[in-house]
Amino acid sequence: MRESFSIWWFAGILLLAYGVVICSTGIWELSHPLANPPVLNNLHAPIWWGAMLAVAGLGYTIGFRPRQTVNKRRK
Amino acid sequence: MHLTAFAVSTQLARLNWIDILVIAIYFAIVVFIGFYLRGSSNTSEEFFMAGREMTAWIAGLSFVSANLGSLELMGWAGSTYQYGILAMHWYWIGAIPAMLFLGIVMMPFYYISKTHSVPGYLKLRYGDGARALSAVSFAFMTILMSGINMYSMAIVMKVVLGWDLNFSIWVSSITVAVYVALGGLKSAIYNEVLQFILIWTGALLVPILGLIEVGGWSNLRQQIATNLGRSDYVHLWSTLGHFSDNPMGVNWFGIVFGLGFVVSFGYWTTDFLVVQRVLSADSIRSARMAPIIGAAFKMAVPFIVILPGLLALAVLPFHLVAQDVAVQTGQHSFNEVLPLMLVRYCGPGLLGMGVTALIAGFMSGMAGNVSAFSTVWTYDIYGAFLNKKATDRHYVAMGRWSTLIGVLISVGTAYLVQHAASIMDYVQELFSFFIAPLFGTVILGMLWKRATKEAGFWGLLAGTVTSISLWLWVRHDPSALRYVAMSPDAKHMAENIYRAFWAWIVCVLVTVVVSYMTTARPVAELEGLVYGASVLPKEHDDHWYQRPIVWASIVALIFVFLNIVFW
Repeated sequence: MRESFSIWWFAGILLLAYGVVICSTGIWELSHPLANPPVLNNLHAPIWWGAMLAVAGLGYTIGFRPRQTVNKRRK
Repeated sequence: MHLTAFAVSTQLARLNWIDILVIAIYFAIVVFIGFYLRGSSNTSEEFFMAGREMTAWIAGLSFVSANLGSLELMGWAGSTYQYGILAMHWYWIGAIPAMLFLGIVMMPFYYISKTHSVPGYLKLRYGDGARALSAVSFAFMTILMSGINMYSMAIVMKVVLGWDLNFSIWVSSITVAVYVALGGLKSAIYNEVLQFILIWTGALLVPILGLIEVGGWSNLRQQIATNLGRSDYVHLWSTLGHFSDNPMGVNWFGIVFGLGFVVSFGYWTTDFLVVQRVLSADSIRSARMAPIIGAAFKMAVPFIVILPGLLALAVLPFHLVAQDVAVQTGQHSFNEVLPLMLVRYCGPGLLGMGVTALIAGFMSGMAGNVSAFSTVWTYDIYGAFLNKKATDRHYVAMGRWSTLIGVLISVGTAYLVQHAASIMDYVQELFSFFIAPLFGTVILGMLWKRATKEAGFWGLLAGTVTSISLWLWVRHDPSALRYVAMSPDAKHMAENIYRAFWAWIVCVLVTVVVSYMTTARPVAELEGLVYGASVLPKEHDDHWYQRPIVWASIVALIFVFLNIVFW
């Protein structure tokens, strides 16, 4: 018996980590405005884009979490 | 330590610690995957073919991702700024029909022949001569391309972030070397899937925010027409009546037959860099579905590559120039359009993800080159001609070492290019010398029982020599372009696609003539290699909508629809 990591689980972890970091950055910027904001900064892209990545990442992380398998590897 | 300590003089953007964290997370996961998969690449089948256990989705995404290198991303965004929407042809007619053809027609033969590589198929069909010619040319050009890609990325990182060239080159290449040498093709494929996702999540905000800024597609077209004083930058087909009617200096015949048929089919069906990904599929059905899935995603890539180039024409307050002019004047070049647009719309965090997307693009391209090189070197050069009777374990060790050596040669090439920049201008063309005739040799071998061993070798050689000769002719006498591309108004892009067209024609003609002059192999020997001499295994789909032909038809219909919409 062995435990295996699916590629989609890795993708989920990556998206979740990025989503949390970027969404948190966007929220922090609400109270600490940037000295040189990018174009369309008023749309607060980091907040909604980061939130979308985090939700997608969470779904994949849970849906493809490592499980015990018997002589069969799940990709 | 702040990463911009590596900075040199002027730079476009500064990364803060959030951006560095985003990049570091990516590198940590990539290397972890390499170590994690180390234990599952002990046999040659596992190391070179990923155990032939990839699902259609994984093989399909990897198939597209291996092609989505940094040169591809930044180069075509730059070409869009230079030539307009015509660059889209390299993503649609220059890819989709060939990918669907690979899945529906060619993949069954590659798969049931159980070949490890495209040169390996040539060995089975034509013998050692054609195999040796194609293996040596592929290995040489693949490793050269890998170095050129590396240098291109390092240059952009220097311009955009001020990173030192040596830092970019060594950190990225060592990372690729570690995860490919440890985990083999499976590690390269896993990372390519991740890199594909990253490229999309990192680059997708640019076209979304760009379209919001300009007020939608219609306003974008108007803005470009106003800024440039011409309307031919936003039409896909209507300006292709004559070479002089469009900014690229091509015509519809060249795009359809040169690009859409020869160049595209040559690259997507015979370049082992991409075909290797599909050969790793877990069944013949997955192997057929993988290119179809890849085609669907390939069709969407212009949204993150072509659209930013068009948006730059509308919104950037300054004009971009050619690379050589940029070096002299200090302006930004066409090739920097994607990083410029990233900096325009992305603040801390998002900028780090965008830069990670560019790095991921580079690494997926390099891993693709290096893993394909390692396979062709080990199976088709070392194992075929230098050491035929080694153990399986020995070949796996050779695969790991050739991966490392391939990376080192790539690094050497990157430094060579640094001192001889003109090589970069030619390398894309050098690569095309071998791909167009190779398609002629492979397709005749697959579809025509009469093609003989001698014809395969001489056809491939004649096509390659034709391509090189035409290239030398135009370099020696630029006015010869009017003969090669059949018009005095033809420009550089037309030369590439017409040269490939003539090379393919010569390859096919020589193969046919030599075949009729030599003795054909008995049909029984062609079982599993040639159409009409092989019984393809039956595929059992529970429902009609699971058949590859159904999905290929849907992709083809969307492809036609999109071409009409952007006519």
